[in-house]
Amino acid sequence: MKILLAPLDPVHDAGLKLIKRKLEVLGYPCVLLPPDITVEEIGEAALAEKADLIFVGRTVGYGVEQLFQRVKDVLTRQGVFGKIRVAIGGMAVNDELAKSLGFEGGYGPHTSIEEIHALIERNPELARHITHPVKNKPEFPFPHDYQVKIPETKKYLDQIVDGLMDWVTDKTSPGVRRAQITESQLRTVQGSVENYTALPFTREYLAQSDPSVADFFQKHVCPPSVRQITQDEVTAYLRRIDLAKRNFHPRVLQHDRTKPLVFIQYGTGCPMMDGMHIKVAESWGADGVLHFDPAWGARTEGLMDGFLTNAEDGTPVTYANLSLIKRSLDQATLWSVRAHRGLNTPEIAVLAGNLGAGLTKINIVYGSICGGTDPARLTVDGVEAMRIAARYKMPFDIPTNEELAGVPPHKAFAGMLIMAQLGRRLGAKPILKPLLCHGPYLMVQGLMEQNYVDYNFAKIRALQTIADFPIWPGEPIGFMTHDEEKVKSAATTALHAALCASLGVDAVTTASTDEAFSRGPITSAGRAAALHGIEETFRFFGQSDIVPGPHVKDWTEQLISGINRTLQAVAASPSFVDALYAGLLGNKEDGVYPGRAGKNSVIAQTSLKSGNFGLAPVTMRKNSGPAGKSPRPPAIAARRCR
Amino acid sequence: MTTARDTIIDALDVESFLLCESEPEARELIAKLMQSLGLARHVIVSLDFNGPGAHFRVRAYLNKPGDNYTWLKE
Repeated sequence: MKILLAPLDPVHDAGLKLIKRKLEVLGYPCVLLPPDITVEEIGEAALAEKADLIFVGRTVGYGVEQLFQRVKDVLTRQGVFGKIRVAIGGMAVNDELAKSLGFEGGYGPHTSIEEIHALIERNPELARHITHPVKNKPEFPFPHDYQVKIPETKKYLDQIVDGLMDWVTDKTSPGVRRAQITESQLRTVQGSVENYTALPFTREYLAQSDPSVADFFQKHVCPPSVRQITQDEVTAYLRRIDLAKRNFHPRVLQHDRTKPLVFIQYGTGCPMMDGMHIKVAESWGADGVLHFDPAWGARTEGLMDGFLTNAEDGTPVTYANLSLIKRSLDQATLWSVRAHRGLNTPEIAVLAGNLGAGLTKINIVYGSICGGTDPARLTVDGVEAMRIAARYKMPFDIPTNEELAGVPPHKAFAGMLIMAQLGRRLGAKPILKPLLCHGPYLMVQGLMEQNYVDYNFAKIRALQTIADFPIWPGEPIGFMTHDEEKVKSAATTALHAALCASLGVDAVTTASTDEAFSRGPITSAGRAAALHGIEETFRFFGQSDIVPGPHVKDWTEQLISGINRTLQAVAASPSFVDALYAGLLGNKEDGVYPGRAGKNSVIAQTSLKSGNFGLAPVTMRKNSGPAGKSPRPPAIAARRCR
Repeated sequence: MTTARDTIIDALDVESFLLCESEPEARELIAKLMQSLGLARHVIVSLDFNGPGAHFRVRAYLNKPGDNYTWLKE
């Protein structure tokens, strides 16, 4: 098939030259006419060359409709139109316009060579992977050997983990018990978002929960700012999600790299609003999403159930809400449900695992000194949550957002590495999540006065030097470098993402352009804008890397040295839990302190082999008593909130 | 959904550059502008005054999390 390419511009014919080169690679003989010719000359050349197809290009946008109408008239008079196929292209041309004028097809600035190929061959299948792209869920995290490479670091980590495992051996908690009850119930419950029936919570469960949870189930009282979503709303929402799925053409952000994968956080308060934001983020290229729950949820013993919407930040974790989110996700989207910082850590890990979330989030250190949970309690619950994560094959990430409170990176990283080594001991796949931020410690020390590149570079290099764990900076990257102005915000997110690409990390969590705006909820347009920025930045850098400055080597060594000093101090402490209370991984001077939620709620176990629940008389717990050996009580149905 | 406005997921942003002589004047003009658009409940997301006037983005939330969303109405 011979193709004639004809520019209708006086000078601009770059688009047609590009198409010619690519068509010749595909094996099509092409003839490119020079610019500044008339339509009559195009018709004459087509006949003389015995062309099978003419591409007429017009770069300039104004008046194209009238111009191409005249092209059609002239070519018709010459006996060309109708005999030879004619397609048109240009900045203001698309397939719809071309076909409305009677041409074979049209191409615009974003048309791929595959689509032009499909047009030539009249075979849409040739461009199907472009017009109807399918994203496959990646294996995440990418392969790593999970080995600690510095012997001194490994020695301390192993000592600390040995002691930690001994410490938890004979302890349990209401959170662990609820996780066991919930897991047992989930084996028999088949959730359906179309016709949802609440989980059959039992008196045994409520005995391990706060009064507000009992009030929810027994008196139908919702917490302030929470309301129950009606089944009619859910039905209408599902219709809208199905529509969104029908028109879904996912974008790939990474250009010619395979990583980092790009995650966004959601937690607007409402699972339906979250779902719409997720659809926007997936469509604009996000590879994964993370569920964020409200702060009060982490400080309440027990979870509620049903479709619940919260008028403030954070979407309540309930089996129903998570089921609704799951129903909203594309098959390729990675999904993380954070469990890590509160009194429901093991139970949320159970729900996440049961619902097929690929990932969760657990950090005993952060939750203890920054998340408001008692260190002893969260150590018991965190270990159980890691066991659950291992059982459900859910890798878990370890955030270090204590840096935002002022904890120096070397202490935050020491805590993170302890969690990672503990996770490996328990058979799980931990992921390091350093915070790439302009945090208080770095501000005070002036470590980012010259740029945002070098210290972040040193942080990642230090971790990569110490061990081969997956690294997923967050949360989100560029924290405290964002601005209320949209373009600045998108730029800082995108540039941090590019830095992370240079550093070869597995993934990044990114903010919307509303990150610094605190006077209202995040918007879907802000999510799309940030992802646009990332896409363009990845395109800009391609496989080129950002080169670090001269300070990076020294800062990397200082960080490693600081991490080892911290680990040495923790290893020398009577126990990991004592180290948390003593502030060895972050103290009041840094800006953090041990949490109080769940204080004295750890329960000593006497004999796990005796056939009972293994609960000894309460020695440490001062709140409601354990359920003991009472027979399984009747279920309590969840009803609508007042 | 009954109107185009009902199809907006969450918020309507208006971004532009207006001629003024101070930031307070810009705020006053933005409030009048939004009022004239029938968006009295609004919040300024960003405002940068310099030289000839102010570059601004102002937002009206049409659906906040937890609302009865217009995009779920038949």
